Amino acid sequence: MYGYSEFDTAFVRERAAQFRAQVERRISGALTEDEFRPLRLMNGLYLQLHAYMLRVAIPYGTLSSAQMRQLAHIAERWDRGYGHFTTRQNIQFNWPKLRDVPDIQDALADVGMHTIQTSGNTIRNVTADHFAGAAADEIADPRPYAELLRQWSTDHPEFQFLPRKFKIGVTGAPSDRAVIRSHDIGLQVVRGPDGGLGFRVLVGGGLGRTPMIAQEIRAFLPEADLLPYCEAIVSVYNQLGRRDNKFKARIKITVHEHGLEAIREKVEARFAQVRTEFGGADRALLAAIRAQFARPALPARPVAPFEAARRADPVFRAWADTNLAPHAVPGYAIATVSLKAHGATPGDAGAAQMRVLADVADAYSQSELRISHEQNVILPHVHRADLPALHAALKAAGLATANVGLISDIIACPGMDYCALATARSIPVAQAIATRFEELKLEHEIGPLKIKISGCINACGHHHVGHIGILGLDRAGVENYQITLGGDGSEDAVIGGRTGPGFAHDRILPAVEKVVRTYLGLRAGPEETFLQTFRRVGMAPFKAALYPAEDKARAA
Amino acid sequence: MSRRFTPKVVTANALLEGDVVYLTADDRWTRNHAEAELIEDEAHAQIRLIDADGRSAEVVGAYLAEARPGPDGPRPVHFREVARTAGPSNHSAGRA
Amino acid sequence: MRPDPAVPARGAVPAGSTARRAAELNARYRHHGATAVLERAMGDAQVGRIALVSSFGAESVVLLHMLSVLDRAAPVLFIDTAMLFAETLDYQRAVAAWLGLTNVQVLRPDPAVLHARDPYGALRLTDPDACCALRKTAPLHAALRPYDAWITGRKRFQGGQRIALDFFEDEGGVRLKVNPLAHWTRADVRDYMVNNRLPRHPLVAQGYPSIGCKPCTGKVGAGEDARAGRWRGRAKVECGIHLARPAAPDIPQTGDDTMPETDLTPASAPVIVTDDGFAADDWTGPVGAPDAPDADAVALPPDADPEALRARLDTLRLIVVEFPGFADGRGFTIARRLRLMGYAGRLRARGHVIADQYTMARRVGFDEVEISAELAARQPAQDWRRRAGWQAHDYQSRLRA
Repeated sequence: MYGYSEFDTAFVRERAAQFRAQVERRISGALTEDEFRPLRLMNGLYLQLHAYMLRVAIPYGTLSSAQMRQLAHIAERWDRGYGHFTTRQNIQFNWPKLRDVPDIQDALADVGMHTIQTSGNTIRNVTADHFAGAAADEIADPRPYAELLRQWSTDHPEFQFLPRKFKIGVTGAPSDRAVIRSHDIGLQVVRGPDGGLGFRVLVGGGLGRTPMIAQEIRAFLPEADLLPYCEAIVSVYNQLGRRDNKFKARIKITVHEHGLEAIREKVEARFAQVRTEFGGADRALLAAIRAQFARPALPARPVAPFEAARRADPVFRAWADTNLAPHAVPGYAIATVSLKAHGATPGDAGAAQMRVLADVADAYSQSELRISHEQNVILPHVHRADLPALHAALKAAGLATANVGLISDIIACPGMDYCALATARSIPVAQAIATRFEELKLEHEIGPLKIKISGCINACGHHHVGHIGILGLDRAGVENYQITLGGDGSEDAVIGGRTGPGFAHDRILPAVEKVVRTYLGLRAGPEETFLQTFRRVGMAPFKAALYPAEDKARAA
Repeated sequence: MSRRFTPKVVTANALLEGDVVYLTADDRWTRNHAEAELIEDEAHAQIRLIDADGRSAEVVGAYLAEARPGPDGPRPVHFREVARTAGPSNHSAGRA
Repeated sequence: MRPDPAVPARGAVPAGSTARRAAELNARYRHHGATAVLERAMGDAQVGRIALVSSFGAESVVLLHMLSVLDRAAPVLFIDTAMLFAETLDYQRAVAAWLGLTNVQVLRPDPAVLHARDPYGALRLTDPDACCALRKTAPLHAALRPYDAWITGRKRFQGGQRIALDFFEDEGGVRLKVNPLAHWTRADVRDYMVNNRLPRHPLVAQGYPSIGCKPCTGKVGAGEDARAGRWRGRAKVECGIHLARPAAPDIPQTGDDTMPETDLTPASAPVIVTDDGFAADDWTGPVGAPDAPDADAVALPPDADPEALRARLDTLRLIVVEFPGFADGRGFTIARRLRLMGYAGRLRARGHVIADQYTMARRVGFDEVEISAELAARQPAQDWRRRAGWQAHDYQSRLRA
């Protein structure tokens, strides 16, 4: 993994010192709240419903065991003993005090972490495939590119006051686990005509109130041109993006309004100008970064203990069947630790759990952890022979829920339990659904099914790309939930369609259950997933199940 | 004004702690909704909001929130304000 | 900027008393719209030499825009009372640049008189009328001396003494006042701003529908008159420049028609920030609109395309890039592009730029930042100097080699 250079360390320390001074200037009145707000946001500090919230970047989702332990320490020392992993590979602390924040930033700097640009109208934390460097289907590890982009975008003088936030996602595999099509810039590592590495570049994706799937602006961009090309895109956007209406300010709208062709032309022209500034230092740095991401030595060992445990222990087998993914190295597996225990808050981890995760990473996964956009923790390099011991350790800490990719593995934003923008709560809905299907013992029979819940139109819970999406709204002072079906965040990205009118807070769980039971009744066989069935039969039978009275009215 | 004025309280977040606070009739900031000044007059509400805006060294983002009288003092009306008063519904969850 | 005493000499001094001329003009233009009245007034021999007086307040941009369409070189008089909101000063520059107005004259009270009459800026507390007379009325009347008429943005709907306003008024037999918007409604004003996409004064959104000097302007509550925030708690409703008789200025002016640049009161003069800290502006020449052909200094609004300057980059000595608000980062890209195009002259960021952005400004290629006195007072030189080491901790310099 990447370790901070002296430069990186000095940078984050200087930045924490700057923020400390900014906090004091806000308190003294030298900075107005209007002036302070963007400064605190670009340092990851929000003011939420009940308290400040500090968002810490976990660039490209990679975390060392030492860093995880420090997060546990921060949670206990300055917060209320827990943290919340988000859909963009960040962790949020929900209760810091303003004057403690610089201390937290110093503590983060101690382990090579920061809160920089996790908010604000700037280039946000660069996300990547959470299986990067381990996945069997990978062309190249995307993290060296993401780290290069992190360094380039950090404190980029031209791009700290963009029209709106700007998100970049990178995947190194054809299977898109990083949802790059819903990013402002999506990068997919591909091989070029001459066999060299480069990128397919997508632009203008985003969820929010106007969900759009990113379009291809460049079929192949040579690896060497990564920074100047991204800089050209953001620079064109900075001048062209709308600033009169915050809901039309994302680059997806700029692309939509000007047309992809016009944007491409401007980007290519700017690229030609900007490229002259990059003389090769960026490529040398990339080579140095890449060396640090070399896969650790993963020696071959017999996998017999794994097979034996799998036969002997049904609980272990259930976990192994849902929570493991194929590793590029034979004998190894990628293990996902679910942070979705039935009835718990999706993505929350307590300090003690964080320490257990750090310990098992040291023992079984080369001291490395990943955070997925699905709000789970991943141990990327576990030998199969170690899986029974890993499972036992996780079980003891309440971290062995066998539900990855299943109906209770729900993505949910914090919603109105924490967020100042939310229009309804998300967490209780997620808790109710997970608890209900656990009671029914149907989860494994239902199979792969992604439920995603957002507490407002801004779609932090990615509801548009949930197989079942749920959007919480405020209808005349009452929480109301709309359902979308058929969304898909993978490489086949699709925005889900709305079923019809929303459901009140006490009707949303029965409605979800109806959708699932309709699927179970319609599927061609246990092998046909919810999404496949939906694509085969369409929306109509689900609508009929959800709104029976209306159906009768139409038939009459 | 064709629409009848509904009673309000002035609320904000404390600058240093971030806590939800309410303006009292004697110009204090309280954490207790029931201690807030229930404002029944629109013009007075605007003046109280201006007063609150002026106290930027103490609070952030003051606004008027609907409230109604209760046996022990004003109570929130909208579910968002109820949530702000009560704290997160998973308050104890995840706390190791 | 040294006011260019470019008083247009349009024909001879008009004949007839001002009262008579006002009546005749009102009859002639009775059925005309605002734009027509403005256009005719600027060319009508019976009106004579004319200037627009603008506060660059909440609604001023409407008339300024109309004027800019007709003649961007027409004189615009703006009174800086040294007590204005910083936002007004920023807005004044941004709007002037935006509309390409080339003859905006900033009037300031005579520093010597100011020092004698109101050394602590406290006159407003004891005698607001005297304060207005000192800071507004006197400088304006001095500046209006060469003109036969002046244009105001007053409207009937503003009420008070304005409900019977006509297009043309006799100002005490001395000169004419032209009020092209006299018959406009609030909705007309709003529609015009929306339809022409005109930039709004930043304070409007903060609850100031009418904007004057900072100490005597308050926010206005819902349901209140738009001018209710002016001199709140006092009987005063007009500042004095619009009172029926132009009181013979009882305040001696040491200056002549205009205020020389060098006499700027330090309290209100903008500040230039460089790595060395604060300094006064040493650029004494005019700064033109982007398409002013012979200018060696131009100001670019944030939506300008720097490509338009490509052919002139060698002859330009100063380019000023306007920042209407600190959260609008377009100027950073403009600066970067100018440097990429090879511009080697002086590059200045002007407007609402805060100390925390100094590093960014320097790194994209700005040499200096021009800020208002108010901002300089709130964010003193030490806040900026803290960022003087902008070359350290710079990822870009590691990547671009």
